[in-house]
Amino acid sequence: MTYSEELTELIEEFQEIDDKMERLEMVFDLADEVNLLPIDQWTDATRVNGCQSEAHVKVEIIDSNVRFYSGADSKLVQGLMGILTMAIDNGDANVVLTLTPDFATEMGILNSLSPSRSNGFRNMFDKVMNEIKTQM
Amino acid sequence: MREEFPILQREINGYPLVYFDNAATTQKPSVVIDAMNDYYSNSNANVHRAVHTLAGEATEGYESCRRELKSRFNATRAIITSGTTEAINLVAHAWGRANLVDGDAIILTEMEHHSDIVPWQMLAQEMNIELRYVPVQKDLTLDMELFEAAIKGAKLVCVVHISNVLGVCNPVERIVKIAKQNGAKVLLDAAQSAPHQDIDFGELGADFMAFSAHKMCGPTGIGALLVTDDAFNEMQPFMGGGDMIETVSIHGSTYQKNEQKFEAGTPRIAEAIGWTEALKWLNDVDIKSEHKRILDSARWLAKELRELGMTVYGRHDKNDAAVVSFLHPTMNSEDLAHLLDARGFAVRTGHHCAQPLLDRLEITGTVRVSLYFYNTHDEVVSFVDYFKEILERFA
Repeated sequence: MTYSEELTELIEEFQEIDDKMERLEMVFDLADEVNLLPIDQWTDATRVNGCQSEAHVKVEIIDSNVRFYSGADSKLVQGLMGILTMAIDNGDANVVLTLTPDFATEMGILNSLSPSRSNGFRNMFDKVMNEIKTQM
Repeated sequence: MREEFPILQREINGYPLVYFDNAATTQKPSVVIDAMNDYYSNSNANVHRAVHTLAGEATEGYESCRRELKSRFNATRAIITSGTTEAINLVAHAWGRANLVDGDAIILTEMEHHSDIVPWQMLAQEMNIELRYVPVQKDLTLDMELFEAAIKGAKLVCVVHISNVLGVCNPVERIVKIAKQNGAKVLLDAAQSAPHQDIDFGELGADFMAFSAHKMCGPTGIGALLVTDDAFNEMQPFMGGGDMIETVSIHGSTYQKNEQKFEAGTPRIAEAIGWTEALKWLNDVDIKSEHKRILDSARWLAKELRELGMTVYGRHDKNDAAVVSFLHPTMNSEDLAHLLDARGFAVRTGHHCAQPLLDRLEITGTVRVSLYFYNTHDEVVSFVDYFKEILERFA
C-alpha cells in the first residue's frame, strides 16, 4: 500500500517512539487536526457504534474529494480521528477507498490502546469508508 | 507479602506493575496457583462418585473448600457457585420462585451491583413482584428512613454490604435487625466485603450471603452462597443434572439433601482447591490492621486528588473499603486510564456495573482505584506523583 507523503511521515514518526506515554501524547496532540464536527451536529446517524466514548463522524464528497468531519468526548479518540483526517481528508475518494486500517497498525497505535479502543478505531474506519461508498 | 504474588514482579511498558483494580479482581498468591497446578498434575478426577484414589483426592479437595468456607464465615450451609452473580441468581430461582407469590415485594437499594438488580427485575417480570429501591442520599449513605417505610410487607431485602463504586459500607446489622422485625429475609451481596472483613454470617443473622473467590485471592469462576438452615429448607432445586440427584428413574428423580442439591453437574474442582488455599492464606492475614493500613492510604489518596481538583466519590469511614472513585473536571476517564497504564498503573473506569447508583450521582462513570492488602503506600504515592505529571502534560 502506498501512502501519501504526509501519512508516511506520520507513520515513521510514530514508529520512532518507543515510550507508550509519548506515543499517546502524540495521539492527543493530533486531536487538533480534525475538522471539528460540533456537538450540536452529533446525531444517531453520525455516531460510531461500538466505541466506549461518544464519537461522531461525517463525510462529504465534493468534486470527488473527501471532506471528513469528526469529534469525540475523548481527546484520545479525537486524536485517532485526527490521524484518520490526515490519512483521508481532501484525498481523492477512489484513492481513499483503497486504504485499509493497516496504516494504524504500522504506526503501532492500535496496540497502544485497549481492545475496546482499537475496535472503536476499526468501527470508525469502516463507518467512514461505508459513507464514502454510499455517497459516490 | 508481595513476594508471594508472582504477577506483582511483572513490568508493564517497562515500569513496575501497580495493580489498583482489586475491586474487579485480586491477584493470586503462589499457594493458590501451585495448588491448582498440583491438582491437575497429580489428582485430576471427578468428584463424589468413583472409589479410586484420584477421585478420593479430588473429592477431599473440593469438599475441603466447603469446610473452609463454613469455618471462616461461621455458616452451616455453603453452596458452591460460579461466583456472586450465580449465587444471587440461585436465590432468585431456588428460593424466590418457591416462596414468593404475585404481589409480593422485594427491597433493593440504588447502590446495588447489576448482579443484584437484574435477577430480581427478571423475576419481577415473571411473577409480578414489586421492587422497592432504597435511595442513596447525598452523603452516599442509604436513606434508612425510607428503608424502614419500604420494609412493611416486603418478603426479601437484597443489599450490598460494601459498594464496589464508593467503598461505602452499609449498616447491615441494622438492616438485618429491621428486616427480621418485619418478617423479611435478607440477602447480603458480600462480593466486596468478604475479601476485606472478618464476617460472622451466623452472628449477623442474614439468610443468604453471596460472594466470589476471585476478589479474595482465589481463582475466577467460583464463589459461594452461604445459607441458613431455615432458608436452605425453603429452597427448591434450580438446575437439574448430575451430582445434584439421589436417584433417577424414568418415573422421576429424588435429590441430594445437602448443598449438592444446588450444584448440578461436575463442579469447579480445581477452583475449589485453589480457593481453599486462598482462604487459608487470608486466615493468616491480620485483616483488621491490613484494612486500616490500606484505608489510610485511600484516605490520603482521596485528599491528594481533591487538592488536585478531582471530584472524589466516597467518604472512607472506618469500615469502608479502600476504594477511591474520582473524576477529572474535563479529562475523559478512559483517556486517564490509558495514560496511567502507560506507566504500569492498572485502574478501572466506567460504570462499574452500578448504573442506577451513577444515575443517582448524575454521572456516567468514574476512575476507580481499589487497593488490597499487597498494595503499599509507596505505590499510592507514586500514583499521585505520576498523576500530577499527567495533569501537567495533558490537562
